[in-house]
Formats: sequence, structure tokens, C-alpha cells
Amino acid sequence: MEINVDQNKLTKALSVVSKVATSSKTTLPILSNVLIKAKKNKVTLTTTNLDMAVVDFLPTSSSKDGEITVPARLLADFVANLPKGEVKISVNGTKITVSSGKYKSMMNGASTEDFPELPELNEKKAVIFKMPVEDFKNGMSAVKIAASNDTTRPELTGVFFNTNEEALYAAASDGYRLAEKKLISNVKSEVKAIVPASTIAEVLSSISEDVEEVEILFDESQVCFRMGEIEITSNYIDGSFPPYRRMIPENNEIEFTLDKNEILRVTKLAALFAKEVGGSIILETSAEKGALLVSSVANEFGENVSEIEVEVDKNAKVVINSRYLLDVLNVLESDEVKFGFSGSLQPIKIENADNQDYTHIVMPLKG
Amino acid sequence: MFDVWKNVLEEIKKETSREKFTTFLQKTNLISTDDGEIKIGVPNVFMQTNVRKNFDKNIREALKHNGITVYSTEYIISDTNNNIRKRAREVVSINDIKPNKPKKPLISNTPTKKPETGLVTDYTFDNFVIGTNNDLAVYTAKAVVDDPGGKRNPFFLYGKSGVGKTHLVQAIGNAIAKKNPNLKILYVPINRFYADYIDGIKTKHPENFDKKYGSLDVLIVDDFQMIIGKEKSQEEFFKLFNEMYLSKRQVIVTSDRLPDEIQDLDVRLSSRLTQAGAYDIQLPTFEDKCAILQAKAEYDGVEIEREAIEYIADNVKTNVRDLNAEYEKLVAFSELRGVTPLEIINSGYARPATSSSRNSTTPKKILDKTAKFYEMDTKTMLSRSRVANICMARQVAMYLLQNELGLSTTKIAREIGMKDHTTVMNGTKKIEKEMRMNFKLREDINLLREEIYE
Repeated sequence: MEINVDQNKLTKALSVVSKVATSSKTTLPILSNVLIKAKKNKVTLTTTNLDMAVVDFLPTSSSKDGEITVPARLLADFVANLPKGEVKISVNGTKITVSSGKYKSMMNGASTEDFPELPELNEKKAVIFKMPVEDFKNGMSAVKIAASNDTTRPELTGVFFNTNEEALYAAASDGYRLAEKKLISNVKSEVKAIVPASTIAEVLSSISEDVEEVEILFDESQVCFRMGEIEITSNYIDGSFPPYRRMIPENNEIEFTLDKNEILRVTKLAALFAKEVGGSIILETSAEKGALLVSSVANEFGENVSEIEVEVDKNAKVVINSRYLLDVLNVLESDEVKFGFSGSLQPIKIENADNQDYTHIVMPLKG
Repeated sequence: MFDVWKNVLEEIKKETSREKFTTFLQKTNLISTDDGEIKIGVPNVFMQTNVRKNFDKNIREALKHNGITVYSTEYIISDTNNNIRKRAREVVSINDIKPNKPKKPLISNTPTKKPETGLVTDYTFDNFVIGTNNDLAVYTAKAVVDDPGGKRNPFFLYGKSGVGKTHLVQAIGNAIAKKNPNLKILYVPINRFYADYIDGIKTKHPENFDKKYGSLDVLIVDDFQMIIGKEKSQEEFFKLFNEMYLSKRQVIVTSDRLPDEIQDLDVRLSSRLTQAGAYDIQLPTFEDKCAILQAKAEYDGVEIEREAIEYIADNVKTNVRDLNAEYEKLVAFSELRGVTPLEIINSGYARPATSSSRNSTTPKKILDKTAKFYEMDTKTMLSRSRVANICMARQVAMYLLQNELGLSTTKIAREIGMKDHTTVMNGTKKIEKEMRMNFKLREDINLLREEIYE
């Protein structure tokens, strides 16, 4: 096998695929290798951790057929430090030679026989969605913050893709908060699938700047994200996602909108004083003052109260985890945000003021 | 029997590297070996591909060594308890949808609708819970099913929004359709009827309207009260009604009030609609609500504590629709948090938003509201007067004290300043009996209930 490829392109490709290879927790040594395959002028780099696989279609100037696996991290680091220009990779048995001008190294690889085979995606039967990369990125970033880390409830550690009333939604929840984003309208196919949040994180970090569209393929047993030259395939999480839609309050007793940066600032201030109490801060509306009061529970560090002018006609008080509030404020896109309260122990609804595509629910704490 | 699998794994373990073994084989299991068709469980599609690729030969060999005949091997995605997994995802591609095969919705709450009849097959008698609030209506509804167009024609059903009128009339439609597949049945909300009529005129094709409505065997009209102010469609409905009635075809009508309470309704139509009686669904009592929730939980296969059911029943005062909504919210919370419904309630979350607590009503409030409702003061009502309307108000108050607060007859006697609790017993019984016959009284008591909890 022989490949000639631009150093810059190879570095980029290796940086994407090597993350999956080295993050492997299993003890199978070959999983830390990258599979390099050249066939009819098509070169692919593949890594897998058996839950997920990344394939990069590498643009090359010329290649001769062949395949090998080599330690992904080592190759990635070596290539990254080479000067700009063309890199030549050639294979002799299980040894691989990488050279660029005066630089040359030889690495011990392993035969491809032991490298796990990737299950084939049944493209004909798969449900395929396409969407602009920006929409996908924004939506996924905003949803995945609510996913759980608790592996005893695996179904909550993923992002739940589901269709409802001819639209594709993504949702995640850790039992204390819930995020839902409408991704695509006028959808004719139907899908219900939980994709690991770790896969979503990998997908997000693998999207390169020049990509404009993401293609998502759901087949019976796996999901595939295609973005430009990169393709990430992943297992689903087994289990059923709770019927979360019923928890989103339709009407709130009190609704008000305010400036995102202002609420972000005062939440950060209150959070400074809330470390002792697990980050819990108090949001209180006052009809008399026409204000939202954000305060911390008084403790040994002192206390903090801030006031934001808002239009409210009722008084209400909720205690909320400041970290959850900061998380959602950081992913909201519009400058104005809308809050909905329905009582001190009812879910708090937080949305962009200008559209309802994204809904975030936080369960209040007991005061 | 599946100790065999242990032996198989032991054998392969010796032949392969430890890493490879733990990665690929540790989470496999043997599902069945019937007729030499070996089914092996693997955790996911990745393992499915690679176990087959790497170990199929070894597995076949090792099975044979353990005396098992192997004709074929199949690798199935399943959990470690040999259960072939409930599919975690469901995917239906538009490519899969054959034109003549209707697509089955995957989301379970999406009811299956037969478009030509307007009937939703999910609404049946089986999942309609019978209680004291609706037993007469259900009984009559079943009589309609047995003899459409017969004695119970027209069937007029009324009750507050959300108590289950639509469910019941849909159930009638479905049951008739099942028994007599040849009958032409149509369920329409009155607004649809109106729109169809207008369409016929606008498009200058009134025959479309006649085609749809002219040859029906059973017509079910929902939300009839919405006919207010639509004179033309009233006339048209009256015409259709008469035609159907005279040719002994069944008409079923629901409304949130009695015909004579519908403004400007033609008197002739009004009286004909109720000539076979008017049947109502009342707001469910506490026991009815518990029974509804219990049945729902059983139907859904959800485990829910008795206390949790009582809590919801106690707190939702409005109607069955809200009751279901609160139940579903609670179950959703419970599933999401991974704790039981009662724990969710005890943690203070998921408190029904649309309720005032049952305890917020007091005997005094009931007495005052009842007196006010019957336009007298509380003192007059509680006097020993035998004047008919005062007596009636007093008995209604007794009935409410018993049913809303669950007070014993002795306690009620004390509340209204009587010595003898048998008077109370007689009073409440009389109201109960009267309510079965007297629509007006049922209506009044319902209104009163609402006022009490306002």
C-alpha cells in the first residue's frame, strides 16, 4: 500500500479519528489502532471503540491498494509535527513507513484481520434526515446539556430522537431537567431512538468548518452521522425514553421575559454565594416592584440580592440550582429569554423569547 | 440446560486471547438450540457482526463437543437475561410504507382513525370505566348498540366538557361497526357538519353534502351546542334528523347542555332530540375517579400505589380529561426520576396545578353556598321549615356534606343542628333517588359542587 497525502489534511483526519481510538476503555489492544485502507484511489481511516466508529474519507493525491492498522495516537502526533507538504505512507508487511522530505519514521503496525468489522448500515431501510450544520450544532449543544451521567439509568444518558406530529425532535433529561429541540418540520418518516450523548459530543467535535450539511441515518440497529468526509456510526442505547412531553407545562401561571445577559450576570453573582448550599439560588417575582429578585441563601460567606426589572403581575418564588440555570442560559440563542413559573414546586420553563423550537424545563429545589 | 454455554465459553477461552474473549464473548448467552437452530444473544449490532466474524467457527465446534447438533447459528441482539430486547428504537422509513397497507403509528397515543367513519378505534366500551356518574348512560348506550334505530333513537347524551361523552359515543359507533360491518356510520363534530354544508353551497356541489350524509345508517354528532347561531345548518340538521328518524336510522347527539338550554334552538328540534330521553354523564365522584385511574394503570401496565391514585382523585376536581392528564404527568415524572409515583407526590412535585385541595372545603362553606344557591340565608335553610324549597335545599346540603366531605350521618346531623341522624339518612337517600330522575337537580348539584370548590 502507498498513499500520498497533504500533511494538513492528514493531520486533521487523524485528530478526529484518534480521539475514539485512544478513548477506548476495553482491553483489546487493536482498538487503539487506526485502520488505514486504500482501495481504488479511495483512502479511509477508521477507528472504533465498539460502541462507536469513526470513518474519515481522506482526499489523497495518489494511492495504491492495501490496508494496515497502526497505533492511532502515535501516528497522529507524528504527522502533526511534520512540516507542511506532502506525506508519503508506505507499507511493508506489518510495518509502516511515514516520510516527508527529510523526515522519516517506521512504525510497527498490526494486520487488519483482528480489527473489528463494522456492521453494515442498511441504507435502503434507513430513515434519513438532512439538516444545515448550524441548526444541528445549535440544537444538539442545547439538548445534550440535560443528559444524565448516571449509568444506572442508561436510557437517560442519551439524546432521544423522536418524531411527533410530523416533526423531528431531540430531547434529553437527567430527571431534574429536560431539554427538547424541534430539529426538522414536515417529516414523513417516523423514528424513536436513543443515541448516546457521548456519540453526540464526538459528532459535534468532529464537524469541520467547511461542512454545510449533516445527514443522519437511522437504521434498525445503529445510527450514522455523515458530515463531509467524516462518518460516525454508533450503537443505540437500549431502553425506552420516558414519555417526557407530558411534563412540559402548557400554561404557566406567571410568564415574563428578560435580557439574557442580565439574568446570566446576576445568576453568576448569586452562585458565588451559593457554593455552600449546592448552588441553590432563589428567584422571586414581585408584582409591586415589577422585578425579578435573584438571591442566594444567606450563609457564612454572606449573601447577595440582585434585581432585574420585568413585567409581572403575580408574586412567585422558586429555588433553583444555579448550575442548571447557567447551563441553559449559555445555550439559549436569543438575547431575550422567557421564563414560566407555575408554583414553587412546579417545573420552571425557560425558552428563547422569539421562538418556541427549544424548550428547557428545570425542576425547582425545595426551599 | 444453558450450563452448556459456560462450557462452550470455557473452551473458546483457552483458544483465544483474554482481551479478545472479554471484549466479545463475556456478554453473550445462549437463547435456544431447538432443532439444531442455534440462537445466540449478543448485546448490540457491533458485537453481532464481530462475534460472528471471529468466533462462529469456534462456537459451532464447542457446541458440538457438548453434544449439541448445529445446523445453523443466528446471532440475536438481546439482553443478558435471554430476553430478546424490546426494540429500543423504532424506525419506519417512507420507503417501507406500501400504498395499500396503512402505516401503523409507532407513538402509542396516536389513535388509529378510520377516516371514512370518523371513528377512532381506541375508544371502546372495554376501556370506558363505568361508575355511578355514568352507569345509566352506558347502559343505554349498549342498548343502542343492540338495536340501532330502535327504542333509543335518538340517543341524546350530555355532560360537562371532558367527562367522556366523545369516548362513549365513539364506543357506540365502534361497537355497531363491529357487529354490523355493513352499516354506514359517521361521526362528526357539529362544526364539521356545518363546514360540509357551507362547502356544498360554496362549491356549488351540494350533492357532495348529500352523498356524505344522505345514506347513513348511524349518525353521531358531537358538540351539538356549537350549533348556536347557525340557523341554516340547524335547518339542514333538522331535515336530516327527521329523515333518519322516520326511516328508523340511529341518530346520536352529544352536547354540554340540554337542548332547551341551547340558545335559539328550534323548539321542535329541541323536543325531538330528547324524545327518547336525555342521558347525562356527571362529574365522577371520588370513588369513580379512583376506579378510572386504577383501570388506566392496569391498562397501561403501570404500577401505582393506592395512595397515589387517591391523591390524584382527591385533587382533580374538574373532569376526566384533567384527571388523565394529571395521572399521565405523574407517571411520566415517576419514570423519569426512577422512583414510584407516591414518592414523586411526597417530594411535592407534580402537584396538580388545576386544583384546590379537597380539605379546603368546610361544612360551613357547603352550607353557606347551598343556601345562597337556593336564594335563602343559611339560618332559614337550617330551620325546621317544611316549605318545599327550604326542605329541598337542606337535603341537598346533607347530600353534599356526605359526598364531598365524607361526613357520617351523625356528624351531619350535628352540623345542621338536628338530633336525629335518621332524618339525614332519609334526606340524602331522597336526593340520590331524585337525582336519577331529575336532570335539573343533577345539574344544580354539579353547579353547586363547582361553587364549593371555587
